[in-house]
Amino acid sequence: MTNDMVVRTVAAARRGNDNDDVSSGGALYLAFLLGHEAYAIEIECIREIVEYSEPTAVPMMPPSVCGVINLRGGVVPVIDLAVRFGADPAAIGRRTCFVIVEVAHAGAVHVLGLVVDRVNAVTEIRSGDIEPPPAFGARINTDFILGMARSNDGFVIILNVARTLSMAELATLGKAGADSGVLLAA
Amino acid sequence: MDTNDELAEALGVFMEEARELLAQMEEILLREEAGGGSEEDLPALFRCAHTIKGSAGMFGFDEVVRFTHVVENVLDRLRNGAIGFSRQLVGVLLDCQDHIAGLVSTIAEGGTPDIARSDELIAELRAWTAADDAAGAAAPRQLPAESAVRVAASGGGGTGSDYWHLSLRFAPGILAEGMDPMCFINYLGTCGRIVHVETITDHLPTLDEADPELCHIGFEVALDSPAGKEEIERVFQFVAENSHIVILPPHSKATEFIGLIESLDEDSARLGEILVACGTLTPQELDTALRAQQQSRQDTPPRLGAILVDSGMVAPAVVGAAIEKQQRNEEKRRSETKSLKVPSERLDALIDRVGELVIAGAGTHAQAVKIQRRDLQESASLLLSLVEDIRDMALRLRMVAIGEVFSRFPRVVRDVSRELGKDIELRISGAEAELDKSMVEKVGDPLMHLIRNSMDHGIEAAEVRAASGKPVRGTVALNACHESGAIIIEVADDGGGLDADRILKKAIEKGIVAEGANLSTQEIYQLILAPGFSTAETVTNLSGRGVGMDVVKNNVEALRGTLDIDSVPGQGTTIRLCLPLTLAIIDGFHVGVGSTHFIVPLDMVVECVELPTGLDHFDYMEQRGEALPFVRLRQLFGEHGPAHIRPRVVIVRFAGKRAGLVVDRIYGKCQTVIKPLGPLFEQVPCVSGSTILGDGEVALIIDVAQLIQGVVTRNWQATHGGTARGATALAA
Repeated sequence: MTNDMVVRTVAAARRGNDNDDVSSGGALYLAFLLGHEAYAIEIECIREIVEYSEPTAVPMMPPSVCGVINLRGGVVPVIDLAVRFGADPAAIGRRTCFVIVEVAHAGAVHVLGLVVDRVNAVTEIRSGDIEPPPAFGARINTDFILGMARSNDGFVIILNVARTLSMAELATLGKAGADSGVLLAA
Repeated sequence: MDTNDELAEALGVFMEEARELLAQMEEILLREEAGGGSEEDLPALFRCAHTIKGSAGMFGFDEVVRFTHVVENVLDRLRNGAIGFSRQLVGVLLDCQDHIAGLVSTIAEGGTPDIARSDELIAELRAWTAADDAAGAAAPRQLPAESAVRVAASGGGGTGSDYWHLSLRFAPGILAEGMDPMCFINYLGTCGRIVHVETITDHLPTLDEADPELCHIGFEVALDSPAGKEEIERVFQFVAENSHIVILPPHSKATEFIGLIESLDEDSARLGEILVACGTLTPQELDTALRAQQQSRQDTPPRLGAILVDSGMVAPAVVGAAIEKQQRNEEKRRSETKSLKVPSERLDALIDRVGELVIAGAGTHAQAVKIQRRDLQESASLLLSLVEDIRDMALRLRMVAIGEVFSRFPRVVRDVSRELGKDIELRISGAEAELDKSMVEKVGDPLMHLIRNSMDHGIEAAEVRAASGKPVRGTVALNACHESGAIIIEVADDGGGLDADRILKKAIEKGIVAEGANLSTQEIYQLILAPGFSTAETVTNLSGRGVGMDVVKNNVEALRGTLDIDSVPGQGTTIRLCLPLTLAIIDGFHVGVGSTHFIVPLDMVVECVELPTGLDHFDYMEQRGEALPFVRLRQLFGEHGPAHIRPRVVIVRFAGKRAGLVVDRIYGKCQTVIKPLGPLFEQVPCVSGSTILGDGEVALIIDVAQLIQGVVTRNWQATHGGTARGATALAA
């Protein structure tokens, strides 16, 4: 599926979401790949999906913050989720793209871009099909996981967006990065 | 949206409204004091207080309501001509206005209101309210001060009505207080026969805005009753205090009806309805008049009022008042449409989008050039220039007149001149000069300091002025004008001027300059801006602590402005601020480090040179015989992009020091629209914002001050290594 199609599905899904919710008791999620692992984010948080473009690096930020991009005149920070989860930086491929999400912080909504390897599809997951995160065994910090859902090809990790993209925490990382940057240069 | 949000939003609206109304009150009071008041002023003054009281009541700010009510009473008496303005009264009312402002902000912030001060002021006001007791012999009963029930004096016949006329406007919150307006009307039935009830629905909001828990309607009641005024009053004894209740006895004078018409604030109530509602006319009489208006098929049908007077149904004075009110309402509505309030975020969003349009247009133009289609190129460049025009217009939307800041100074000058015992006049010109809203907010404090300073230090005492043949009344002039993309604001006084010798002496005494320093007059004047400098022999309440001028200088520099001082001994001093029109756009100097683009604010850039070779182990270079420390941005920022074999040095000036920034490429000057980077990058030193370049790339704006400061402090900590030498030289 091309990114364009996904974007259209996202829009359609957002429009029809209410009805679906009532009829089947499920919520819609955007599923994407990061390395070989499948993740999902609730569609309510997602604003759009845009093509990958080289971000402008901001000095003295930790590696999980790739930099900033120009999103139709707005300057949007971009997070490398792979690095955030402790893996190597995402390798840029043909299907790499930015998932633009909205995160609430200090009474305002902020827009963040996430680098993902591939966007899969918009899927409906019933709340009954979501299992609590395993106590151990997941490759990422279990704090970041809202739950696990079974799909045709194994499990999908549903991310806790507020926790994964906590602005307060990312900003502290930024401070740590700035401090280490200072030490590094000195 | 939850109720808390709604409440907070409504509170915000209330605060803003209260601020505007208080500012209006102040303006009117100052005008009255200067003797330049107009007839419109007194009702306007009353309305201000009345509206504040009403809105405060909705939020349950009891103390504001209690206090404003007393003020309102005095203003009402002023309006009715029962008392006149005196200098003393204006003074007390100005204090009251300040106190209301204080109450509103304390209570809104959740603080405890200063009730003692309220009582103090209420006691002062008593001189003007108490006069009522003596003069108002006609008033049958002295009502408690807190009661809002007004009773008009009864008099001889005037209008034809045989009935009592009651005009009821209940407080919007009356239902919440457990009272139903209907009960009052029912109860009224026990005092007599209700002849007619007119429901006033002018204040009904639209259905989706309506709050079903508020009372939006008012009533005009005609009552046939043998009861006395006191008995009818008693019906409304428990009505919330911000209800507006007027009771007119049968055969009231026409003037009392006029008073009633003026006190009602229904906007679009048509003349006829007002008169019917007031009981001056019966509905039948109105019908007849309306028919007469329709029948007279002239090109310009006479106004309804004229017909009513012609047919002898109402006295001309009553109609005159009603027509006047109708016209005033129309005028008010017209002036309201001249400007509109728009949340600044919406403007910012528009400006963002238009900026993007400019970039997209430039992209299209570049494509057209690429494929070498002459006609396409032409239309693309036309499009681009139109879009750029739109961007300029959009930026202009954020501009407001500087008069918004100036308007608070007449009061300051009045108060300060009294405190100092000097007679000083403030002259304002150029209040219509515009600058960005965000600048307007920040320029107020520095100007306040300058004006106080001019009054305190600049203007001499009256005896000194008289002795030197100057007019006793001193003048402080505030002038604004545009000059080549900047705004110039001058604060000029006709005082004694600066005494260069005394300043120099003082500066040497305080150790600000070395003894025997050879300074030009200009340089000496600039010394008054140094921290810890004050020439005043005595420390007054206002100035003389030596904290003013250097703070002003810092504030102005933070706004990327400059401050010049001009002075002629014996004739006065002029302080000239030159500020950019906006903080949203800067002139930037575009450089490249690796593959990243950076912008250095142009006003900090002194010059550019090539980095001399053979400096691999040093971070300073020789420039015109002086050691110039520099920072290699490539290393500092950890850039790995393509380097340049011949790096350049951008020499910047900051706080009187010079330093170099080593970059790979220099692109040149560009206009930069600043975009904030958001909370994620708050902690990053040395980058203050970002911008989008013509080709859509994001460039980071370097905060030169922080960058240099950071390098200096870092080298204080680590005195070893290559960077240390350069920075030590910088710190020295």
